[in-house]
Parts: sequence; C-alpha cells; structure tokens
Amino acid sequence: MATRAAEELYYDSEATLRLVDTVLDELQVMEAEVAKSEDRVRSLTAHVDQAHAGIAGLPDILMRAHGEIQNVLASLRESRDVLERTTVEKIHHMNDKLREVTSATEIAATDILDGLDRSLALVDQLDTEEGEIDRSSVHAELRNELFAVMGCLQFQDITAQQLSYASSVLGDMESRLTQLAAIFDPASFGLVTETKQEMEAAGPRAFDPAATTQDAEQRQALVDEIFQTGEKNG
Amino acid sequence: MKFLVVDDSATMRRIVINSLQRIGFNDVVEAEDGQQALERFDDSVGFVITDWNMPNMNGLDFARALRSKGAATPILMVTTRSVREDIVAAVEAGVNNYIVKPFTPQVLKEKIDSILPAGATN
Repeated sequence: MATRAAEELYYDSEATLRLVDTVLDELQVMEAEVAKSEDRVRSLTAHVDQAHAGIAGLPDILMRAHGEIQNVLASLRESRDVLERTTVEKIHHMNDKLREVTSATEIAATDILDGLDRSLALVDQLDTEEGEIDRSSVHAELRNELFAVMGCLQFQDITAQQLSYASSVLGDMESRLTQLAAIFDPASFGLVTETKQEMEAAGPRAFDPAATTQDAEQRQALVDEIFQTGEKNG
Repeated sequence: MKFLVVDDSATMRRIVINSLQRIGFNDVVEAEDGQQALERFDDSVGFVITDWNMPNMNGLDFARALRSKGAATPILMVTTRSVREDIVAAVEAGVNNYIVKPFTPQVLKEKIDSILPAGATN
C-alpha cells in the first residue's frame, strides 16, 4: 500500500517536473522573443532619431540645392549672352543681305527684260524694209544691248556669295544651339556631328560677307584713288 | 595675247571672257581657283584677271605666289571686296589694277588699257 502511494507520488512528481520543464522551455522562448522585440524597439528608436536628424538637416540640403540651381541658371544666362553677342549682329546682317538678294534679283530681272525688249525692237527694225535705216548701226546697237544683258547676270555671282554668307550664319547658329542643347541632353551630340558632316559635304565655300550689288561706282572710285596714290598699309 | 581668267563662278568667267572677246582678245585659259590657276600659268600667259574669294587658294594669295615666282605678268583683280584694307593689301601683293563687281564692260576695257601698252585693245 505504502509502495503504491510512493509510486503515485513519484509519478505525480515526475509529471509535475515535466510540466515545470515545459513551462521553463516556454519561458525561454518568450524571453528570446522579448529580446527580439527589444531589438526591434531599439532599431525603431534609432530610426526615429535619424529621421529627426534628417529633418533637422533638410534646410542645409535645400540651401545647397538652391545654390546649385543658381549656378546652373547663371551658366545658362552666360550662354545666352554669348549667343546674343555672337549671333544677333550676324543675324541682322544676314537679314540685310537676304533682303538685298531679293532686291538685286528683281533689279537684274527688270534690267534683263528691258534689254530684251530693246533688242526685240531692234530686230523688228532690221526686219523692216521700209525707209532708210543704217543696218550696221542697228546691228551694233543690238550687240551692245545683248552684251549688256549678259553683264546683268553678274548679280548671280554676288547673290550666290550673299546666300553663302547667310548659310554660314545659319550653320554657325545651329552648331551653337546644338552644343547648348547637348548640355541638357548628351544624346544630341550626334546631331552636332551630323550638322558638321553635312556642311563639310557641301564642299569648300569662299565668299565675301560684305558682297553687294550696290554703290559699285563709289566703291570703284575708292579703288581708283588708292591705286593712283599707291597707298600701302602700315 | 593669252589671258588667264580665274574665278570660281562659271557665270563670271563667261562674262569676263565675253567681254575680252568683244575687245579683241580671244586667247583665254580659265581656272576655278588660285591653285588651279598656278598649275595653268606659264610664260605664254600675258595677262591675268582674277577674282579674290575662291576656295583652295584665293586671288590675293595667287597674286602673291605669282610675284614670289618672279612673274611680272599684269594682274587685274575683279572682286566684290571693296574695303580700304583689302584694296591696299592687293596693291602690296603686286596687283596692277582692281575692279569692283558688278562692273561694266567699259570699266574692264579701261583697266586693261591702263595696264597694257597703248593700242593693245581695239
């Protein structure tokens, strides 16, 4: 009887100890989880501290960004000024030259038509058998008229130079604008190369930027004066 | 007399050559720029008429090159350039006379007459 009671007590004790062991294991697990939670809390606290520090540093960052933007804007203003200085005057000159091309071609066309009208009238005179006309003098006059018509075609050489000048100004502007665009978009570097290649493919061009059909007599007078005096530089 | 007419504009070369033919000069050789003109120049050329603005070699450098070779052949510059400094540079390069474009045949004849011996033109 006593043995049986002792065995029961033994088994009860063993079960109790097992329960205690289990509870201890569970407590260990909980302790580990608590430790993990503590780490998370510490980490969150650190993040919150960093966020506080970041917000505190935001004005400095914004000030630096503002400075950078001001520098970029200053560079852009400088580029614009350079573009204005170098191209505006040329563009005005180019516009003048293009207007002169229009005027020169119109004047030449009118002169040519007038010359041809006079020539046709002379041909009509030669066809007429009535009255007495000096055929040799009419022939000479006709030759002079036709020759003068040929002289009118000099406008082609001069306007070609004016157009070459306009083309060179446009090419120069295109190149400068493309270089400026390349600051913002490096992909447009390809466009610069293409423009240069196109211009080079057109072949060498020689022109007088001041070429004009106007005031030929006054300009010739200056030439004659210099050649008569034999003026030399320096 | 043989003329060497140098101009990169075919239109101008035709106008100058026609003008020369009208005053009795039919022996003409043409060149499109100073470099080609130097290649075509020889002792048979008695008179040079050259433009200034040309690719490869301009008329002023061509005139200088001729003079540096010792050639005394008369040179008449026919050009749009009419700034004093340019005209003076032409004088210094040894150009004998100078015509501003656009010109009349009469001016061309006068300038050739002023360089050639009397009676050379008709």
